[in-house]
Amino acid sequence: MSDEIVQIETPFQFNEENKREFDELIGRYPVKEAAMLPTLHLAQRQEGYITPAVMKYVAELLELSVMKVKDVVTFYPMFFEEQVGKYVIRICHTLPCALRDCKVVLEHLKAKLGTDVASETDLAKGTTDDGKFTLMKVECLASCDVAPVIMVNDDLYKNLTPEKVDKLLEQLPN
Amino acid sequence: MVQERRILYEHLDVPNINTFDVFRQHEGYTRFEKAIADFEPDDIAKMVMGSGLKGRGGAGFSTGLKWSFVPRDIEPRYLCCNADESEPGTFSNRYVLEKNPHLLIEGILICCYAMGIETTYVYIRGEFTLGKKMLDAAIKEAYEQGYLGENVRDTGLNINIYTHPGAGAYICGEETGLIESLEGKRGQPRNKPPFPAVEGVFMKPTVVQNVETLCNLPFIVGNGVDWYTKMGPTYADMRNDPPTPDPNTGTKLYCISGDVNEPGVYELDLGLTCSELIEVAGGLRGEEVKAVIPGGSSAPILTHYELDTRLDFTSLTLAKSMLGSGGIIVMNETRNIVDCLLNIMKFYAHESCGQCTPCRWGTPWVRDIVQRIADGEGRQTTITRPKFGITESGRWGDTGETEEIYEDLDLLENVANNIANVDTMTWNTICVFGIAVSWPAVSYMRKFRPEFEAAIREGKLVTLPVAEATVPPEENYAYQQRIIPQEFADL
Ligand SMILES: Cc1cc2nc3c(=O)[nH]c(=O)nc-3n(C[C@H](O)[C@H](O)[C@H](O)COP(=O)(O)O)c2cc1C
Ligand code: SF4
Ligand code: FES
Repeated sequence: MSDEIVQIETPFQFNEENKREFDELIGRYPVKEAAMLPTLHLAQRQEGYITPAVMKYVAELLELSVMKVKDVVTFYPMFFEEQVGKYVIRICHTLPCALRDCKVVLEHLKAKLGTDVASETDLAKGTTDDGKFTLMKVECLASCDVAPVIMVNDDLYKNLTPEKVDKLLEQLPN
Repeated sequence: MVQERRILYEHLDVPNINTFDVFRQHEGYTRFEKAIADFEPDDIAKMVMGSGLKGRGGAGFSTGLKWSFVPRDIEPRYLCCNADESEPGTFSNRYVLEKNPHLLIEGILICCYAMGIETTYVYIRGEFTLGKKMLDAAIKEAYEQGYLGENVRDTGLNINIYTHPGAGAYICGEETGLIESLEGKRGQPRNKPPFPAVEGVFMKPTVVQNVETLCNLPFIVGNGVDWYTKMGPTYADMRNDPPTPDPNTGTKLYCISGDVNEPGVYELDLGLTCSELIEVAGGLRGEEVKAVIPGGSSAPILTHYELDTRLDFTSLTLAKSMLGSGGIIVMNETRNIVDCLLNIMKFYAHESCGQCTPCRWGTPWVRDIVQRIADGEGRQTTITRPKFGITESGRWGDTGETEEIYEDLDLLENVANNIANVDTMTWNTICVFGIAVSWPAVSYMRKFRPEFEAAIREGKLVTLPVAEATVPPEENYAYQQRIIPQEFADL
């Protein structure tokens, strides 16, 4: 992806707080490239997802080609290249959670939100029409003792049942 | 009944143990102070070697030995703390990070002092937002108290710790994948050798160590090697003549999940048996144990015939499985092993990093075969061989012997063994992810073959009673050569 091919409508830039955090980050590593993951996390937190403009900006900051940044973004499941909902719901479906009926919780979530499960290449499939939720399946969240679990953005919810899911969804501000 | 022995987790539930002051009231940082006051760095390395501590992250490699490979004349050297905890069934590191992060910092300090390391990166999996927040806060406090930064406690040591978030890829738990990811690249493992101890992050000597391994260090230094080696069995390594001691010392944070009444983390001496652990975890939820996965999803499965196996590094290796990360998943009589294997194979097919052809293509292929069997479309053929006997017409001739061949089961074994061969323990891949795929695939299929055959024959998943789902060890080649190790003291 050469820089000319990417159509960038509005350029991206860190806000002041993130710029400060980035300046602190970059001093931790002997090479700038190593700040890639934390920088992308910062950018995604600010912009919601990784747009071409974000990639271009990060590439400039780290003195790399845009291609290199894209290479990394596509490898890691936590970086989104499409708009996602305000609340990203990650449901674990690996064996220990499956042994504790995560399927029931998943089906309930699907019905309740009226959406399918997102796939890595098609996030829109799991996003509600109002753009409030994105539902995705993830692998073991290292909380198998309190299975089944989901994460809503950064927060983990344990020992879920359909009733607990209902309560939880009601509590989330719009 | 076996008792829990809480050492790493002793103060886990003390309110506010995550703060410096409370940690300090519970002997916090005194072990590090003892290390710098009473010992030379080399003494610490010798103690760690003498303690027999083995890596808790998966490979179970001797920590002291790993340290001895690090060249002391190349500067700078790095420590990478592996907090990527993603092996299905494992969740002990999370609690350390979230509740007692200062303990990890103290462990890191001791390792840095022993190895002359100035910079540590803690690679935390991206989903651990709370864990990262707690550790970051603890690091900040440690800087303020003069335990980190320049001239630590007036010793002239400079030690820095930085946290580094991952982004959801399991393979970044593999040590060279972690290093690549830390350097800002795709987390694709490197060819070894060179090992990280010689050429790791930024091409410098690097010690990669799991959270739990590092948390053992304060107690080894604080209480001494003699105290530490009393916990857990020391076996005789019969490969050497005369046999040498093979330590499985210390406690282990066993993570137990699945069909038990009280899943959770239990800290116990290494070497208790599978059935004892199930007892400690509140007993089985259900009537009968059908299967136990002893070391995270990568480990070969154990059947109800093997519940007397001791859960330590040596015993499980000799039982053709592994302790791995200590994630124990229990399944009761209602579980279908084909279904469980399908779940695990979906995980691996999703997580392959895609560098090596056998793994990139083989893993989804194995998944597809298991999916087909689970969907009731498993392939089966009937072959007819010539056989001499009395034919229908009453004369001697070819009667034709027919045999049912479960084509898909042979294919499954063949594909898996071509990613990594479980019998010869050779792999055709860059990293041992290949083994982590073929080990479960082949072991589930061999040990629970009747259940796989039934699914193909009946055209749907059939959950057989425990006694019928697996063949007795005497008749099953999957168990052959299972050896029970002998304790060194009994020789
Ligand atoms: C596919 C794969 C995944 C791994 N995941 C982890 C992990 O999540 N956490 C961990 O500590 N070690 C993991 N390991 C083991 C590491 O490669 C390495 O052995 C370990 O971090 C070394 O530390 P230790 O000696 O303290 O155990 C993994 C290994 C492989 C092959
Ligand atoms: S074995 Fe699989 S995970 Fe490991 S390097 Fe090869 S492709 Fe990647
Ligand atoms: S399997 Fe769901 S948290 Fe581990």
